[in-house]
Amino acid sequence: MTFRFSDEEARALACVLDEIIPASDDGRLRGAGELGLVGYLETALARMPEVREMIVHGVRTLDALAVERTSLHFPDLGRDDRVRVMNEHAASEHSFPPTLLILTYGGYYHDDHVLEALGMEPRPPHPKGYEMAPDDLSLLDPVRRRPKLYRDC
Amino acid sequence: MSDETVDVLIVGSGAAGAAFAWSLAETRMNILCLEQGDWMDPSSYPGMQGDWEIRQLGDFHFSPNVRQRREDYPVNDIGSPIAVSMFNAVGGSTILYAAHFPRFHPADFRARTLDGVADDWPLDYWRLAPYYDVNARMMGVSGLAGDPAYPPKEVPLPPVALGKLGATLAKGFNRLGWHWWPSDSAIATREHEGRAPCVNAGTCLVGCPQGAKASTDITYWPPALRKGVKLQTRCRVREITVSPTGMADGVIYHDAEGVERRQKAHVVVVACNGIGTPRLLLNSRSKLFPDGLANRSGLVGRNLMFHPYAMVTGIFDEPLEGYKGPTGCCIMSQEFYETDASRGFLRGYSFEMLRGFGPASTALWGLSHGRMPSGAEHHRAYADLFDRTAGMVVICEDLPEADNRVTLDPELSDSDGIPAPRITYRLSENSEAMLRHSVARAREVLEAAGARDTIDVAPLPFAGWHLMGTARMGTDPERSVVNEWGRSHDVRNLFIIDGSIFVTAAAVNPTNTIQALALYIADTMKKNLANLFE
Repeated sequence: MTFRFSDEEARALACVLDEIIPASDDGRLRGAGELGLVGYLETALARMPEVREMIVHGVRTLDALAVERTSLHFPDLGRDDRVRVMNEHAASEHSFPPTLLILTYGGYYHDDHVLEALGMEPRPPHPKGYEMAPDDLSLLDPVRRRPKLYRDC
Repeated sequence: MSDETVDVLIVGSGAAGAAFAWSLAETRMNILCLEQGDWMDPSSYPGMQGDWEIRQLGDFHFSPNVRQRREDYPVNDIGSPIAVSMFNAVGGSTILYAAHFPRFHPADFRARTLDGVADDWPLDYWRLAPYYDVNARMMGVSGLAGDPAYPPKEVPLPPVALGKLGATLAKGFNRLGWHWWPSDSAIATREHEGRAPCVNAGTCLVGCPQGAKASTDITYWPPALRKGVKLQTRCRVREITVSPTGMADGVIYHDAEGVERRQKAHVVVVACNGIGTPRLLLNSRSKLFPDGLANRSGLVGRNLMFHPYAMVTGIFDEPLEGYKGPTGCCIMSQEFYETDASRGFLRGYSFEMLRGFGPASTALWGLSHGRMPSGAEHHRAYADLFDRTAGMVVICEDLPEADNRVTLDPELSDSDGIPAPRITYRLSENSEAMLRHSVARAREVLEAAGARDTIDVAPLPFAGWHLMGTARMGTDPERSVVNEWGRSHDVRNLFIIDGSIFVTAAAVNPTNTIQALALYIADTMKKNLANLFE
């Protein structure tokens, strides 16, 4: 099963995602929308029809609210207006489900670009795994000196 | 319907079923195991893919209610503050477990005699010790000899790496003068019986593609199959049937297509875990056993024990490399394990150090604790948490209480129409007091290790990993379901070998003891083959 947002919905949602996780001040990390997370959401939402419906509804009502308040579509708003409209929308009955945040955070933090910016290799943990330095087991010396802790029976 | 009557029919291929099958295979009897799940393909485990942390929330979630795979059955656990976790496949829940592998303490088998609570087991630590040793070799247990919290014991492989995170926490324990020790772990730290060593990938809880973690599909089952045991997957057992004389004579199961089939057997062995086993027994009603099979005591499903868990996470200033290393296994502390009534509760608990969170889990954990805002503050908040968290869990001993129980749900059922289990469970005052004490001590040790902040969750809601007590063993048929070697008091060719038969829960992960018991029961059966039903 596949799912695609309409072009208008995708454009508005990308702006929403950039407000959820914006680009970092130092420019090392891109915003979630700029990173292309809409595509990730489309794949994830293909398996989640109820959540998908709520998010599509959320995008449409958010854009409608932007037009109502400013005569401009959501993607055409300046940063402050976007935040204002998003806050009003979040307080309404049409707000996005919490799943949008979960999917956005989850998708963003396994993106290769983000992993590299965090100083990690952009790869799955297996099969390579991670090197760990040898341990200093002399840390156990005070424990070794203790009498037995278990009860005989 | 199969015309063949097998000698021994095992229901369930997890920790207990696998160990039992391997041990009994040397008898060359005709042994068949029915498993409702399928073989897992380790190359498809999430750890091989970038989105592995997200899949932990979906098709590899601990809870069958979230996962909803075809082979899962729903569990109505609304009536419990602790949700049931399990996995259904060849290997059972060992596919997803952390592979923490401590033994019980000698005192765990004598709670009534020593502390005046619960009941004594009908066997003791020393009876099980040789089977713990066999299990250590078969599963490939890593650890370090000399732990003052235990009698001397066999540990075949060197301990898992402590890493920077483990060493940091160990120093905290040392500052307080508290016990700690590298965890006994069913994780191969060097090549063991054809299994590759751990590469510290940190994905243990979604299956181990490396094969370093000892799930029974790769430990006990290959040699058991080579010795002639048959394992049939996608077979969901609905009920155990009985002959007119009151002996078990086989099972009715649903195959992969949902078609109802029958398998006849001379001996039936149940290994479906502390929830699945009472579910099956209670669903096996007949004229001879109107309240469910092996339930003349009325104890099938009662005395359900989880381990009430707390999770306390420390936030540190320095990076800890916490995404490296086996997820659940690092170091363990049993400073507060044995009873000290001055603490305000009886029995005790263990601390188990976890690793830190991966990149996505950091964000989602922060979100769930109000520490991960969206918007302008997001990246600062993330940098404060990523690779700066060290988790520890507290595992409290749960005491048996008759009202904590598994029954059959009158409405909910699985995809084959078999009634689902319903859980009724509440935390006792003793458990509540123990949780409070343990969380305060956990904060203390994390702060001693240098944590600038701690966050705790108690009880941990999705921590119903350990399912025990619902068909307990004992010598008195009025007060137990099976005897001291797992044979039903009521049905003399019916055996139960999983965590259901635990009399008490101890304060450690139960898998090692479940398997030691299964090996012990298999051995006892072998010694008594001539008069098995007398």
